[in-house]
Amino acid sequence: MAGTGHAQLRDRDDVLLRVKDLVVHFPAGRRRVVHAVSEVTFDVVSGETLGIVGESGCGKSTVARAIIRLVDITAGEVLYEGRDLARLEGEDLRRVRPQVQMIFQDPISSLNPRRRVRDVIAEGLAVWGDDIGSWSRDRIDELMDAVGVEARYGARRPHEFSGGQCQRIGIARALALDPKVLICDEPVSALDVSIQAQILNLMQDMKRRYGLTVLFISHDLSVVKNVSDRIVVMYLGKVCEIGSTAEIYSRPAHPYTRALLASIPEPAPTVEVSEGGIGDELPSATDPPSGCRFHTRCPRATDVCGEVEPVTEQVGDADHYVACHHPAAVEISPR
Amino acid sequence: MADLAPSAPLLSVRDLHVQFPTERGTVNAVNGVSFDLYEGKTLAIVGESGSGKSVTAKTLMNLLPRTAQVSGEVTYDGRDVRALAAEKVKHFFGVQMTMVFQDPMTSLNPVKKVGEQIAETLRYHLGRSRSEALEEAVELLDVVGMPEPARRVSQYPHELSGGLRQRVVIAMALACQPRLLIADEPTTAVDVTVQKHLLDLLDELRRNRGMSMILITHDLGVAHGRADDVAVMYAGRVVETADARTLFFDMRHPYTEALLRSIPRIDDPVHHRLDPIPGRPPELIDPPDECAFAPRCIYAQSDCLGGVPELSGLVGLHRFACLHPTGTERGMAAMSSNRAAGATAAGLPVTGSGGGSG
Repeated sequence: MAGTGHAQLRDRDDVLLRVKDLVVHFPAGRRRVVHAVSEVTFDVVSGETLGIVGESGCGKSTVARAIIRLVDITAGEVLYEGRDLARLEGEDLRRVRPQVQMIFQDPISSLNPRRRVRDVIAEGLAVWGDDIGSWSRDRIDELMDAVGVEARYGARRPHEFSGGQCQRIGIARALALDPKVLICDEPVSALDVSIQAQILNLMQDMKRRYGLTVLFISHDLSVVKNVSDRIVVMYLGKVCEIGSTAEIYSRPAHPYTRALLASIPEPAPTVEVSEGGIGDELPSATDPPSGCRFHTRCPRATDVCGEVEPVTEQVGDADHYVACHHPAAVEISPR
Repeated sequence: MADLAPSAPLLSVRDLHVQFPTERGTVNAVNGVSFDLYEGKTLAIVGESGSGKSVTAKTLMNLLPRTAQVSGEVTYDGRDVRALAAEKVKHFFGVQMTMVFQDPMTSLNPVKKVGEQIAETLRYHLGRSRSEALEEAVELLDVVGMPEPARRVSQYPHELSGGLRQRVVIAMALACQPRLLIADEPTTAVDVTVQKHLLDLLDELRRNRGMSMILITHDLGVAHGRADDVAVMYAGRVVETADARTLFFDMRHPYTEALLRSIPRIDDPVHHRLDPIPGRPPELIDPPDECAFAPRCIYAQSDCLGGVPELSGLVGLHRFACLHPTGTERGMAAMSSNRAAGATAAGLPVTGSGGGSG
């Protein structure tokens, strides 16, 4: 958070996914480890879109991959409908996976180049046929139609499609198994600007049509704002700030969030442009800074920031939590 | 060499065409691009992938593969750049005119210390001795805002972050005091906080050294904040060019308008429905003889399909290649007739509410 803490967790019946104190370490040789994700906590309620935003190396993609168990979880819990995905193995894990599907950044390399796109979309159904309703030609046609790829092109291979079309096919593949949760890792970053809007609108439509809960990972603050109900801002494996999208963008409290908003080419009106002047050296994730991990670049840092790790605290009484010893002057509940 | 009036542009490009023969046919990457760049100014060339912006930049720097067929004039300070390239003139490319690329990792040699890479430029072009060149490399790294430059010269590229690597590349580009810097997506591979620093740095260097800059970018926000003039490219042509303010607030080409509308903005409300551009960019092999944007354009009329519109007006003014420009009476008439008909002349459905300034 650049700290820890659980204040941001919500006590609601419709929490679908709860990530608590998630830790992911990668070995870096010579007994050193990369602290990719360090005690990250958040939850997602059913039907919500949670945006995870931060710069490269902040751990946003690793969080996504850990939830779906594409990387090993070092510690912590990933509760999905009350079951801890971090502890599931073998057949139990396999049975949960259709419900949590993923879309990747590079639409072309995430599709098998040697297979026809119809087969790419159908593969999950072919594997899960007996449990989820066996795949039929109609079902594939319906999916292709839903994402805006003409079904008559189903026999073509991925290289015959543009990047935008490939991303549509990737979305159809993810939706084929009727998932509850869709994890999108930078789904529009590799696309041209004129195509980005098409895909973002499509994702909103699919979310509504199939009743999805979405985790949306992006470095692009404008894109994240457009799609998300709630946002987590991450820095160097920690959560800085979390809250409703409106709160985060209208009253950013963490100096790092403010720096991001001030650094984009057309800065947000809620921050001063000068707040973007943080150094451009990201500390090493094998030896992260003590205390608040952001203190080495933070314009507000004092001695305490290097010594004590801040814990998330609520900002006022809004859906807004920040882990900072010196948050920006928005009314903060007494500490 | 001709005497130049003080107001002559530093770089002048006229009717540039670039074609690449491929197995599938000839790719018309650049189709008649013209622009002027004056001393101390920044021109942003904006476009999506395949628009020809990078090919234009590489043509200026004589970096195209041999198979490329180039025609047109490129004049730098009164000299014919293509003739200089043909004569293999030394100490022009990389000295007068230099380029910074998108990915610093691939423009640096991974097995050579960064100081030596900068020094190499100085030794080859300016004949510096090894020790002089290394000293100058430290100074250059200092100029580009590299912390601890004396230590960094003996580091390898992999030891530096992406932002610092790009600073090394900029230092190399500045080594011979160029008058023109071409930056091809210089900040696309880095994070926003780093992007801001690099763009600030380029701005400052341009101001302090009176350098001119061509900034190639797909990011309209970057172009808006950092350029004096902007040229928007589509399918190998400049479709609109103007000073930055006019281009962003009083554009005439429907593509410029549609592109700006399609981008999510930081001050848009949450879950704001985006206004995408339908369809996708055209093929550059055997393009039909019509406005390349017509199939995606909500203003398109039958005359748009009858030939490629020329850029209006004179070089240096607000120019646009459109028969029914947005924000004009012709544009409004085109829009209302398309709405009434429910479709454009190219067959694109148009609904009452869909886009357009109407």
